[in-house]
Amino acid sequence: MKTLYIMQKEIRESILTPKGFLWYILTSIILSVLSYLFLTNRELSLLDQGTMLYMIMNFITALGVLMGLVFGSDAFAGEIERGTLEALFLSPVNRMEIAAGKLGAVLTNWGIIFAVSLPYLFIVGKGGQNLLMGILYLGILGTLLSIIFSAFSMGLSARIKSMKNSLIISFFVFLLAGSPVFISAALRRTWFGRILDLVNPFADAVNTFDSVVIDSQGFSYQIGRVAIICVYTLLCIWFLKRSAVKLEM
Amino acid sequence: MEIGKEKIPTMTMKMEVKGNEQEGAEDVPPPIKRRLTMIIEVKDLVKKYDGHTALDGLNFNVEEGDIFGFLGPNGAGKTTTIRILTGIIRADSGQAMIGGHDVFRETMEVKKLINALPESNGYYEWMTACEYLWFFSKLYVVRTSRQEILMLLEGVGLNGRENHVIHSLSRGMKQRLGIARALINRPKLLFLDEPANGLDPGGRRDIHDLLTDLNRKHGTTIFLSTHLLDDVKRLCNKIAILNYGKIVRAGEVERLKGTVEDIFFMSTKEGAL
Amino acid sequence: MKKTILILSIIFLAMALNYTYTTASSRITVSISPPSVQANMGDKITYEGTITNDSDNPVNNLITYISLANVTHGKEAPMDLEDWSADKAIKVDTIPPHGTYKGKWPMRLIDSGSYVAYITVVDKNHNTPVSSMMSHLNVKRVLRLNPNNVLPVAIGEPILIGAVFMFISFKRRNRVK
Repeated sequence: MKTLYIMQKEIRESILTPKGFLWYILTSIILSVLSYLFLTNRELSLLDQGTMLYMIMNFITALGVLMGLVFGSDAFAGEIERGTLEALFLSPVNRMEIAAGKLGAVLTNWGIIFAVSLPYLFIVGKGGQNLLMGILYLGILGTLLSIIFSAFSMGLSARIKSMKNSLIISFFVFLLAGSPVFISAALRRTWFGRILDLVNPFADAVNTFDSVVIDSQGFSYQIGRVAIICVYTLLCIWFLKRSAVKLEM
Repeated sequence: MEIGKEKIPTMTMKMEVKGNEQEGAEDVPPPIKRRLTMIIEVKDLVKKYDGHTALDGLNFNVEEGDIFGFLGPNGAGKTTTIRILTGIIRADSGQAMIGGHDVFRETMEVKKLINALPESNGYYEWMTACEYLWFFSKLYVVRTSRQEILMLLEGVGLNGRENHVIHSLSRGMKQRLGIARALINRPKLLFLDEPANGLDPGGRRDIHDLLTDLNRKHGTTIFLSTHLLDDVKRLCNKIAILNYGKIVRAGEVERLKGTVEDIFFMSTKEGAL
Repeated sequence: MKKTILILSIIFLAMALNYTYTTASSRITVSISPPSVQANMGDKITYEGTITNDSDNPVNNLITYISLANVTHGKEAPMDLEDWSADKAIKVDTIPPHGTYKGKWPMRLIDSGSYVAYITVVDKNHNTPVSSMMSHLNVKRVLRLNPNNVLPVAIGEPILIGAVFMFISFKRRNRVK
């Protein structure tokens, strides 16, 4: 119950604010432009709907992860910098309840982004293949990726106690995770590229979207990648727990 | 629990402190009776930060109902002591009991008995005063109606400010709100770390009246960490002077020889030596 | 003299080998269907290629693919078929003697103009690829302002989120001082 009150506080502090809404308005404007160009622009509308859906899914996932990093970096370090964490720690709430409340707010943010993106997914994927399956995978894997990256940056913010530094490191890790996008297709087909792709939860999610939406492959093809994402989720929650419990002001 | 109690000497501060045995000795009541009314019992508390010793075997006790002045120069270890006693950080070694509960093993029980106003207390500036107190009442699982919150705000002189966003309150008002927050769970023991910092004389006087009132009417024990000697003289019945992580003087204000200023300066000088 | 005879023999042998090679590759013929297409931008069409083995022996390991060239005046260029979702080459394991193989190339028409499409078959044992006749493709430009009803969502959603924000802000402003 205390977790819910902390989550409510976090939502009011970060989501139901002008800044929070600006994020969502910008998200929807970007998705509007992207969808319109996909469907009407000559060069972009050449893509089949599966590819369009896949690209929008990647964009939404990246956006959710990115916002999770910002929220996560602020979680402990931001409160320390504003001097509000001590009062929170004084109350009879254990550290894990506080961390869970903050993580709950990050997931709420992801839920809002997902909800904002749904109409666009339906419009872009209408009449195409694997729309519902794609949305299902986006919902599940997007949630897990949000947990992975935000729990990691929250843990980092508890250890480093500096919002700026934990944000920089988190961004660096995110860019590292997104780097396979910049690696050539040929390199990705080598054993090194394959391993790099497999151990990277972000690449795992993107490859799963590709496999589900474009190649219409079933769950049996996805098990390995989904399992790796689940392992990362557990590892990052463990890291967050350790960091929150060890946090000293 | 019992073992812990047995291990903590009742008036250790008098044993530790050079030169004030005389003042304190005649004041010692029988040990058993004393043990029952002790709200804070600290023994051999050690805390180090990156090789620097913040607390160096700290020993002291505080009786229930006291307004206990915890004095010391900057960096003496006052805030560290409060953070350890309120369960925010852990000590490297030693024992600390509050209300008969081990601070390190029964932290949640201790937190229900106490509350504190930290030195650099920040506020959720976007909340209203009422929302702020409501939020903390939920964390303390205290059933607090809006009426009770309004009474609490009135008690700290913030009547009519319940719907004001904290951002719009003055520093003194925020400090009062912090005290209201610290009273939300009706604590038996209240830690205040430099509560009058940055307040004008009027604001300081109001805080003094509030604390005196709290102590007299509700029997709340107040642990006041400060370096403002005037606050100590006006409020405290007992003091302990901390320097370099150790108690260098302790006892009842009235029974300690000399003015508080003399004791303070002499003690910190001795500590430095 | 001997030297001249040797050189002439080598030239003759080379010509004979080349003749055999050409003969062997001409065992395969390929055709494209339909021979001409009129369609609109955004349509999906499918080209079908028929590879026939006219010889008495089976042919193995053929690779066949489709090519598209823009022949619109002033825009003449080969097209990158990846964009037209028709990039996949087909590997044909074997075609029996006098047998045929039919391959399909679905294609999404992404740009207007005049094009020619043709299918090529490559046999790694022979030097000359075999191509089909050209199929003429005319793609008419279609201006779609609101495909899939995108406009109401693209314009409406940012406005809706803004309105929700204004409502929440207004409610809170009334409550706090």
